[in-house]
Amino acid sequence: MKAITETGVPGSPPRTTSKWSRFWRIAFRNRYLYLMSLPFVAWVFLFNYYPLWGWLMAFQRFKPGKSIWEQKWVGFDQFKTLFQDDMFYQVLRNTLAMSVMGLVATFVVPIVFAIMMNEMKGMFFKRFVQTVSYLPHFVSWAVVTSIVTRMLSTDNGVVNDILMGLGFIHEPIQFMAKGNLFWGIVTVSDVWKETGWNAIIYLAAIAGIGPELYEAAKVDGASRLRQIWHITIPGIRTTIIILLIMQIGHLVSIGFEKQFLLGNNLVRDYSDVLDLYSLRYGLQMSRYSFGVAVNIFTSVVSLLLLFTANGIFKRFTKESVI
Amino acid sequence: MAQQRKWPVVLMSATLVAGLLAGCGNKNDNNGSSASPSGSASSSASNSPEALKPLTLSFYSEDPSPNWTNMQDDVGKEITAKTGITLDAEFAVGDAVQKSALIASSGKYPDLISPKTSISKFVDAGAVIDLTDLIDKYGPNIKKVYGDQLKRLRYSNDDHAIYVLPTYDGVGKTYFNAGGGFELQHRVVKELGYPQIKTLQDYENAIKAYLEKHPTDENGNKNIGLTLNADDWHMYISVTNPAFQATGGSDDGEYHITDDGKTVTYHFLRPEEKDYFKWLNHMNAEGLLDPESFVQKYDQYKAKIATGRVLGLIDQDWDYGDGENALKAEGKFDQGYAHFSVTLNDTIKDRTFQSTGFMAGSGVAISKTNPDPIRTIKFLDYLASDEGQVLVNWGIEGKHYNVVDGKRVIPEDVQKKKYNDTTNFVKETGLSNVGGLYPLLAPHYGDGVKDPSGNYYTTVFPDQIVAGFNDVEKETLKAYNATTWKDLFPNESEFPVKPWGAAWNIPIPSDSEITVLDEKLKTITWKMIPKAILAKPEEFDGIWDDYVKQLEKAGVHKAEELRAQTVADRVKLWNE
Repeated sequence: MKAITETGVPGSPPRTTSKWSRFWRIAFRNRYLYLMSLPFVAWVFLFNYYPLWGWLMAFQRFKPGKSIWEQKWVGFDQFKTLFQDDMFYQVLRNTLAMSVMGLVATFVVPIVFAIMMNEMKGMFFKRFVQTVSYLPHFVSWAVVTSIVTRMLSTDNGVVNDILMGLGFIHEPIQFMAKGNLFWGIVTVSDVWKETGWNAIIYLAAIAGIGPELYEAAKVDGASRLRQIWHITIPGIRTTIIILLIMQIGHLVSIGFEKQFLLGNNLVRDYSDVLDLYSLRYGLQMSRYSFGVAVNIFTSVVSLLLLFTANGIFKRFTKESVI
Repeated sequence: MAQQRKWPVVLMSATLVAGLLAGCGNKNDNNGSSASPSGSASSSASNSPEALKPLTLSFYSEDPSPNWTNMQDDVGKEITAKTGITLDAEFAVGDAVQKSALIASSGKYPDLISPKTSISKFVDAGAVIDLTDLIDKYGPNIKKVYGDQLKRLRYSNDDHAIYVLPTYDGVGKTYFNAGGGFELQHRVVKELGYPQIKTLQDYENAIKAYLEKHPTDENGNKNIGLTLNADDWHMYISVTNPAFQATGGSDDGEYHITDDGKTVTYHFLRPEEKDYFKWLNHMNAEGLLDPESFVQKYDQYKAKIATGRVLGLIDQDWDYGDGENALKAEGKFDQGYAHFSVTLNDTIKDRTFQSTGFMAGSGVAISKTNPDPIRTIKFLDYLASDEGQVLVNWGIEGKHYNVVDGKRVIPEDVQKKKYNDTTNFVKETGLSNVGGLYPLLAPHYGDGVKDPSGNYYTTVFPDQIVAGFNDVEKETLKAYNATTWKDLFPNESEFPVKPWGAAWNIPIPSDSEITVLDEKLKTITWKMIPKAILAKPEEFDGIWDDYVKQLEKAGVHKAEELRAQTVADRVKLWNE
């Protein structure tokens, strides 16, 4: 909006037109654009905002079969139960730990990967590597889990066989039974699955950097590393920061698919995350109100994180999404 | 003008046509009922002519029935001919509980509802009617089937109304075969000369002895002594339930209840069970327990069994069946499994088959918007009659079965089609070897109950089970002097009937504290039991103490008290 107003009305506006009439005039001029965006606004409203009235449930003891106005109101009881539960803090810790590890890994690795791809010479080889690298993205987590557990198995698992063959260990290690390894296993499988896919956007950003910059640098005698440091990385900085801010917003809502599928009872203390918690203690026990309370908490924390990250970046790098 | 005049004419002719049709319909039906060769003398309620007026009832069930043909199959047509009723059925697809909640809150109820545990939502919404008087007046056969179990149909201590006719559990059901217990491969017991397998020690010795002789299979892969299935809810079946089975506890979910119904204990707190898990810990230390037991996923577990390398299991046949079937398909029958009743020591008796009595539970309800509750209950009563039950289980005489010397016999070709072409057979006839389309519609007797002619009501009986065993299974059974695996388990007659049925079958209101407590205890148990089993033997006691402490902190005794209350309520409701 800001951009349109500035370019739409150059110079100082006449005194007679109020702010509103000016707005309507510009809006009318851009009516087709507004018309085109209308379906999407409606879509966002219908699917993202309209369901929010269901949040009322968190302040009730909801029983299915009755309308929402006939339910019993309990105030903040659900939230009290939530904050008094030791398990909640444990799952919160796991969620944050795994998502921070995931954020760092699935952020740094794809960037490095994209830059390395960019430096590659052979066009055919480059394309081949790129295609192969994003194939795992299309494999479902259920299958990935199966591959991971089989590779780490003590019964003819590849990883144990290699480690034993090289003489690092004498007894096979029960990787999946060790709680302290769980976060690492989740992160590594995430990296394996998503690196190629996440790198695509950085490759695209790199492709947008003008070749004359590199040529100029070469003339000035910059080495390959210097070129990366002074041209490639600054060239994709905006992309990096915007993606980072958005990822930080998703820190608490990392889903539960991988944790649910990879976890087992021995590593419960490390594998349960917020979404699993609201599934087990909310939905599966028909405590719908409690489940909603957990989700409200997640949403509020996500918003806070998003604004904080945005604020920090705005202050220090002048880049922001809002 | 002309248009105005047309109205009465149209209306009148419509009325006339409708009247004519209705009249014809009545007449046809009268003819049908008097001409019906088998007669309906045995179904006392449904032989008056007006009862046969065609009536379509809408029906909703939480269980999917993919082969439903709108009653156009042989049995369905016969039911319509006998009762005049056609069902317009709708089955839940996907999340049945949600679908039921939707129907309950919509206010538009089907005429007949089969909602399983969601019944509470329909009752809360006032959607279903009390059937007590209807059964009394119009349901002689229903009364006969339930007999003195009729009390068990009452909804709760506060509300003695009968909302549901339980149709899932058959009255008087007996089991003819055992599918659980402790399993050993046939080749293991054969090689060892069919030793006695009664205690955990016997079981361990058998595995150990065989494993010493055959540490690997023919390809050099290690044989596995015993593997457990601990993926998600399978934990109950293969790890925690066997603990009370081996220590003489009866299945009451996660609780142990004394015979008088007074003392309720979280079953892991029984000292015997600590010994059971200590034994598993010992098995692990000896290298007889598969170290992956608590890590593997269900599909890995089944794949492992399918390799034939696993000597012993503690599981139910329906849970490991896929793996064993793969072995059978390859002809490796000796790597299939025999079932044994194994206990901690020989003074303890396995209560797997202790009788719960009739369990009531899920069934059909009649909604308040049903156009004709009396016809509906008569319809259900017909299905509950001897004639009706034989019809839905066996089919039509002369077509699906013959009576030879007073015995019902299924002809060879029908039997073959039933087993080998199940789906088409169901669609054509409404009958199936795994429960046809109609038995779950109305009250009925369970397997093993005989009708006045001396034949079983259902098509599941001992001869048929024995015929299903393969040669290796028959050989093992013979060596242990048994006809079916059940003969190796203590008989139900050795134990009293539990007056509360089974504790896991007692409905718990969703807002009760028990649900949350149970979930917390479950989380602790599922975490600590594997930890204790996999620990070094000298650490076992310490971990167990820690486990008990955690349970106490989470409120295990509170849960026991609340549970005891529900058991007491159930005993009062069912036996008052």
